[in-house]
Amino acid sequence: MSRLNSYRELEHLCKRLCEERQNITTTVMACDGPGCQASESRAVIAAIRNELSQQGLDGTVRLRATGCHGFCEQGPIVVIEPGNIFYCHVAPDDAFEIVYQTVAKGEVIERLLYTDPVSGEKARTESEIPFYSRQDQQLLSLNRLVDPCSIEDYIAAGGYSTLARVLDRVAPDEIIREIKASGLRGRGGGGFPTGRKWAECREAPGDEKYVICNADEGDPGAYMDRGVLEGNPHLVLEGMMIGAWAVGARKGYIYVRNEYPLAVTHSRIAVEQMRELGLLGDNILGTSFSFDVDIARGGGAFVCGESTALMASLEGGVGEPRPKDVHTVVDGLYHKPTTLNNVETWANVPAIIQNGSAWFASKGTKGSKGTKILALTGRIKNTGLVEVAMGTPISTVVFDIGGGALNGNPIKAVQIGGPSGGCLPVSKFDLPVDFDVLYEIGSMVGSGGMVVMDEESCMVDVAKYFLAFLQDESCGKCVPCRLGIDRMLEIITDITEGRGTLKQLDLLEELAETVAETALCGLGKTAPNPVLSTLRYFRPEYEAHIKDKKCLAGVCKALITYSIDPEKCNGCGVCIRECVHGAITGEKKQTHVIDDGLCQKCGICQSECKFDAIRVV
Amino acid sequence: MLQYVNVDIDGAIIRAIKGTSVLDTAIEYGICIPHLCHVPYLSDIGACRLCIVEHVKNGRSEITTSCTLNVEEGMVIMTNTDKIRKLRRNLAELLVAQAPNSRAIQDIAVRCGVKEVRYPFRNDDCVLCGRCVRVCTEIWKARAIGFVGRGKDRRVDYPFGVRPEFCKQCGSCIQLCPMTITPCDGPMKPGEERLCGNCESQLIIADETPGSCVWCELGEGFACGRYA
Repeated sequence: MSRLNSYRELEHLCKRLCEERQNITTTVMACDGPGCQASESRAVIAAIRNELSQQGLDGTVRLRATGCHGFCEQGPIVVIEPGNIFYCHVAPDDAFEIVYQTVAKGEVIERLLYTDPVSGEKARTESEIPFYSRQDQQLLSLNRLVDPCSIEDYIAAGGYSTLARVLDRVAPDEIIREIKASGLRGRGGGGFPTGRKWAECREAPGDEKYVICNADEGDPGAYMDRGVLEGNPHLVLEGMMIGAWAVGARKGYIYVRNEYPLAVTHSRIAVEQMRELGLLGDNILGTSFSFDVDIARGGGAFVCGESTALMASLEGGVGEPRPKDVHTVVDGLYHKPTTLNNVETWANVPAIIQNGSAWFASKGTKGSKGTKILALTGRIKNTGLVEVAMGTPISTVVFDIGGGALNGNPIKAVQIGGPSGGCLPVSKFDLPVDFDVLYEIGSMVGSGGMVVMDEESCMVDVAKYFLAFLQDESCGKCVPCRLGIDRMLEIITDITEGRGTLKQLDLLEELAETVAETALCGLGKTAPNPVLSTLRYFRPEYEAHIKDKKCLAGVCKALITYSIDPEKCNGCGVCIRECVHGAITGEKKQTHVIDDGLCQKCGICQSECKFDAIRVV
Repeated sequence: MLQYVNVDIDGAIIRAIKGTSVLDTAIEYGICIPHLCHVPYLSDIGACRLCIVEHVKNGRSEITTSCTLNVEEGMVIMTNTDKIRKLRRNLAELLVAQAPNSRAIQDIAVRCGVKEVRYPFRNDDCVLCGRCVRVCTEIWKARAIGFVGRGKDRRVDYPFGVRPEFCKQCGSCIQLCPMTITPCDGPMKPGEERLCGNCESQLIIADETPGSCVWCELGEGFACGRYA
């Protein structure tokens, strides 16, 4: 393709691409996101491609390997248009049937449809599945419309037309006004008003300015940014370019962690394609606007998701935060004014400019507008990426979209916002997903990780897990984060191992507050949240660990013992065979006994026992 | 020509030189803010967090380190509130539990109001204040030592653990190290670490005037900026 020199040439290209695609009657959209790839979507896609050419359909049928559709738990997912037929758990062996029956004849294969776990009914399309119907997918729904490696797909779907319009006739101040009016707030965790950030950066003195896309997502169990950047890199880039135009930057960076190989590859391909079309480089679309983007790979340090640490890492230094007494919008990358936004924030920009701020502001609550992608995981039926309007109650996300508890265990808590967020009990599930509301009750929307926990999760152990993660990921520069988290972990380890005292509990709380107030960077300041929120809502669990030396959930190994129920044990000998520590003895057909001294509490016997005779006390 | 701004530190309206930090200004005017990693002629990194102050802005107070905060016209700073004293004490307690064998840190702990240490002592010596690294890098431009590792494993070391030729053994790093003076009774044996506080009745003075700065000849080579 040749270089585009004006707005009209882009329009023309879009029209031509649409015409070329008119003879395509059927589109097979196969999810090739990280979740589906883990369940071998690559093989499925290859098999379908092979079938299409064997059955001579490759002229009229388009097979599109897309980014994440969201319902990762049911992957690999294949959606067939027209009809929007939704197939889940597709195996490579199903390729023939899919092509022969559904693609060629339009017949639905019942076997591959989604079965509702409650009613047992089959769902034909996504709109019939509660997981999708209760969502408001604004960004994720775009994923299936484009092949992330094809700029033609993006342009044919109307991509870059907003940018072209902006460059043609919208003044930077007007864009900032729109973004401000939309009420868009940073999706990376802090929730800072994006419009204000842009305005401050625009007003900051200096000709050289930068925009950065923060794709260094490191929360355990969260992959929202990955889903967007891998699935639709051009959307993020278009957002960045609009932002660059607004703040007056000529250079941008996408800082993406190297553990996201697909995101690195896709964004690199996207940048190459844009350069080829002249959408990056000098005088973009014949205007005076020049802009280029580089992809920088991060080494995977959690702290590099913090803006100043990320900039230090970009500059080639050690990824360590520095004090933000002067904001990065004035003194950022290379000490130049810098606008840093999260992937999801950038991805929201084109639609706001295209549809107007009123459209965006119509969704959400007073303080939090638009939609938010959440990574729903844990002990629930439906896991995956979920996009809901801000203000949706937590219960809707957990019970309606998530499908409720797995294995029937009652749900106890949800951990929102990753290591910086907090654990909320079921009694708080009526509250909405909203920046201010969640902050007030000791959690935060954060980047959007949502881990659901049931009665089998020990909240002290959860806090310990996050502390261990944070201790590992602390950069070590400031005292409260390095030593404070270390000491908190020391205390909480004492508690889970039965050495804790009530006095230590008060010390833990005081220390957590000290770290929250005095740490240098945002990560350190929010690091005690898992401890503070569990102490706030699940204090009795801590006290049970200390006073009664009991872990009610049966997780903390030092506080539990395994025993065999003599009434249920029929002496089959399975546990004796499976116990790797030789801790179980007993004659055949006699009740077996566990030797506490030898038992390592691995739990293998419990999972192997077919008679439910092994209990945790 | 020097430009001046007016700042309010603990109720005192101070005419401060534009571009200086709140900590430097406060010390200049005799308001002592405890600090450890700050050295007057080196850059500030805000690592020890002892010099935290409350910065009152639009009716909301924000806690930040005074060494990294530059003075601005109309700024309102509080260096010695109950909240700050409590946080500072907790930070000093963390430090002294980590390095009880430094008289400088023992003194700071007592001056910040630490009366008991609620954590098991560790006797790790280095508290990673980074004075040595900065003097080597910034004054001598030698970069013979630097931080290695991350988080718990962070330490000061030579490049690849070997003393490079360009280390001239000038000793600046040792001079600035808060670990070079041991408590009066000599180094504490592992298992016998304690909060010493018996030197020149520091604890008594600290009791009478909580959070205030006391004369500290003890920390020679580590004197607070006022006497440097």
